[in-house]
Amino acid sequence: MKKNKLFQYFLLFPVIIYSFLLILIPLIYVLFLSFCKNDSYGGMIYEFTLSNYLTIFDFTYMMILLKSALIALIATLICAFISYPFSIFLMDKSERTRSFLIKLVMIPFLTNSLIRTYGWIVLLRKNGVINSALIGTGIISKPLSLMYNNLGIIIGMVYTLLPFMILPIYSAVSKMDYSLVEAAKDLGASKWKVFKEVILPSTISGLFNGSLMVFIPAIGYFFISDILGGGKVMIIGNLIKNQFLTARNWPFGSAISIFLILITFLLVKLYKKIGGKMDDLGGF
Amino acid sequence: MNKNKLFRNLFIILVYIFLFLPIIILILYSFNDSKMNIIFTHFTLRWYQELIHNQELLNAFSNTLIIAITSTAISTVIGTISAVGLFKYKFPGKNLINGLIYIPIVIPEIVLGISLLSVYTLSKLELGIGTILLSHIAFSIPYVITSVRSTLNPMTSQIEEAAYDLGASKLKTFWYVTLPMIFPGVVSGAALAFTLSLDDVVISYFTAGPGSNTLPLKIYSMIKTGITPDVNALSSIILLITIVVLTVATIYQTKTIQKREMAK
Amino acid sequence: MKKIIILILGIFLFTGCTNNQYKGVVNVLNWSSYIPDDVISDFEKEYNIKVHYGTYSSNEELLAKISSSKEGTYDLIFPSDYMIELMKQRELLEPFQKEKLNNLNNINIRFLKQPYDSNNEYSVPFLLATTTIAVNKDSIKDNITSYQDLLNEKYQNNIVLIDDQRIIIGAALQGLGYDINDTNKEHLEEAYNFLMKLKKNVKAFDSDSPKTFLITKEVDIGLIWNAESILAKEENDNIEIIYPEDGYVLSMDNYAIVKGSKNKENAYLLIDYLLRDDICERIIKEYPYISTNKHVGNLSDEEVSVILKNGSYIKNIGEHISDYDKLWARIK
Repeated sequence: MKKNKLFQYFLLFPVIIYSFLLILIPLIYVLFLSFCKNDSYGGMIYEFTLSNYLTIFDFTYMMILLKSALIALIATLICAFISYPFSIFLMDKSERTRSFLIKLVMIPFLTNSLIRTYGWIVLLRKNGVINSALIGTGIISKPLSLMYNNLGIIIGMVYTLLPFMILPIYSAVSKMDYSLVEAAKDLGASKWKVFKEVILPSTISGLFNGSLMVFIPAIGYFFISDILGGGKVMIIGNLIKNQFLTARNWPFGSAISIFLILITFLLVKLYKKIGGKMDDLGGF
Repeated sequence: MNKNKLFRNLFIILVYIFLFLPIIILILYSFNDSKMNIIFTHFTLRWYQELIHNQELLNAFSNTLIIAITSTAISTVIGTISAVGLFKYKFPGKNLINGLIYIPIVIPEIVLGISLLSVYTLSKLELGIGTILLSHIAFSIPYVITSVRSTLNPMTSQIEEAAYDLGASKLKTFWYVTLPMIFPGVVSGAALAFTLSLDDVVISYFTAGPGSNTLPLKIYSMIKTGITPDVNALSSIILLITIVVLTVATIYQTKTIQKREMAK
Repeated sequence: MKKIIILILGIFLFTGCTNNQYKGVVNVLNWSSYIPDDVISDFEKEYNIKVHYGTYSSNEELLAKISSSKEGTYDLIFPSDYMIELMKQRELLEPFQKEKLNNLNNINIRFLKQPYDSNNEYSVPFLLATTTIAVNKDSIKDNITSYQDLLNEKYQNNIVLIDDQRIIIGAALQGLGYDINDTNKEHLEEAYNFLMKLKKNVKAFDSDSPKTFLITKEVDIGLIWNAESILAKEENDNIEIIYPEDGYVLSMDNYAIVKGSKNKENAYLLIDYLLRDDICERIIKEYPYISTNKHVGNLSDEEVSVILKNGSYIKNIGEHISDYDKLWARIK
């Protein structure tokens, strides 16, 4: 019996230590910091204040929050609009081809994400590949502004996060009962109606899973807005980064982080409510 | 009907073009004679030769490999043990632990990055390879746990029970019975941890110190100050290696499945 | 599987071996695009000391890195004038032991004993940078002489700016005729309006390599560091370099030793190496700022005097920095 207990400790000890030391304590410390005061050049004063949270609701910062939520939302929607038809169209293929094609989706993501983002600079800039090709073929006469603006950021986000939408939606679509779709079609339902009444309800947790895995990182990926936005567009990720690495206002940076965690928890709660499973998140 | 099919295939092809375009461009420009990555002048292999002399870049790459291999090894061991432990036993606070391990998966990476940075600063840990490693272990473990957990089910417990009844010790059962059953989950968890570590920008960005440049961080600073095509060359080589490893792994996998089916 | 493990271990051993031949290290934080890589690697070879070289893009980023890392993490840094003063106040710097440097005499005395560190107790000057406006005359025919000129609607999406709040807000203040270190709230509000107008013309903010934007013709105008302008001109001779008539920033960057440094001796060796004439020559050739070395540089003493006379230094503005922080967040 004693030996039994020993084995149990062996199996459980690491995860308890880990989850306290590397998850709980850091988060509690950030929560603590978010109620601290800050002197102008980055010293922390351990006095209770709510001002960091009030500052978030300041017009300036609220605009940044809204703007980055909007950028993330657009990126999420585009990802969903690509992933649904893609997954449904894939169902025409044989199982072997399908599994090969899905593996192919992952290949680009085995190279470094920064080098891929850099690839987009080469493509999108004023005299880059796309503009040169369009001008060369006479489609446009003046180069388009494809980057150093919101468009560039959205392209970068969609590109980097697309597989996180494709995989859960594909897995939901492939598990769907296809006879229902056929039945609906036989009854004369339009394509849109089939999608809305049959496909969407049975894949909703896959869609929500993908949306979570696209939307949440898209708020924080400061390097994409840095590189493809030309340092002109600040998203929440940049704001937090600046508070920690430039402005040295850790308490304010912590408050924004706690705010983000709360939003995340809310979204996860919603996801669970519609029947999503936690273990499906972030799995491949 | 045919037109419809054409449209469907076209859509699929367009998605793949979108996914592969930047990578093809990168590989193409690794053979380009011009330094500025703008116009394709001549075919050359010189960036592959210069790569050998770019000590900084190679150092960053070796740091990245060391961190990825070590963090994968440690997080796979801890994650596997933990998944089994959390599956088998009930204990007070289990719900809390179960909730906590999802946090690194769902919260934005930047939040995990700054919270780890804050604690490292608080505990006066010197930032460097050690702190990057610890952080990578921190975000990898949950992925291994969920991946291993997907292979655990009541069936596995019953087989374990049978092993105990036959007189095997707990440790022996774990090693010879449980582990082989959950092995696919362990492998895919490890692969996931390795890929995540290899490519991590955000968390390394906050927890790096002097002399601990990883490849993503090095590339980040190079993108800002001017990238040279030897980075393209290195990326092309890495991509080639991963594709080869993946293909070999897939072939190996299908072969073992075939063998097993033959045995049946 | 075994083969893969052996291969991986092999890579491990290989990379492990290549690192251990140095007798010491020095941890350096410097501005990006400031010292050529080969200058550093030659030092490593000559002195057998490994340089861990990190970079930053603004003084504020440097301050954040130093104050959030454990004492002894970094050895040698290159803060500008006002940051020396601030770091001195915050006791982040080690007193400078000038007697350890053999090549100190190479420095032109005019750069010593500056107001931010009047006896050079904590710092020795390294390079002088100034902001400049660079204009590509191929496409811009107008005569640009001041910050106000940059507001012209014709230049929409055609300007690159240094990504540094003190410098850009300072430029706006100067464009409005105020002092570069002004903290008056109304004046800052005017600067905000000025910058919002300017932002319509801005394609990107970049501190690390703004010259690339000009060289690749992504933009035609840049408010960028002097060396960046000169480098852009080397690629395209039709780029004109302008010192704005309403003033510009002078930034004196210095060698300084971080408090608690564990590799002081190596840091002094590196400084002494960087003070050498031949090394200064190489640095200036690749990054053409104004060297403090009296034997090096293309500018005559009088020319330097003119540049110094019309430019102004950024000063530490204490707690007013939070107004600047907020203004900057509003602009972006």
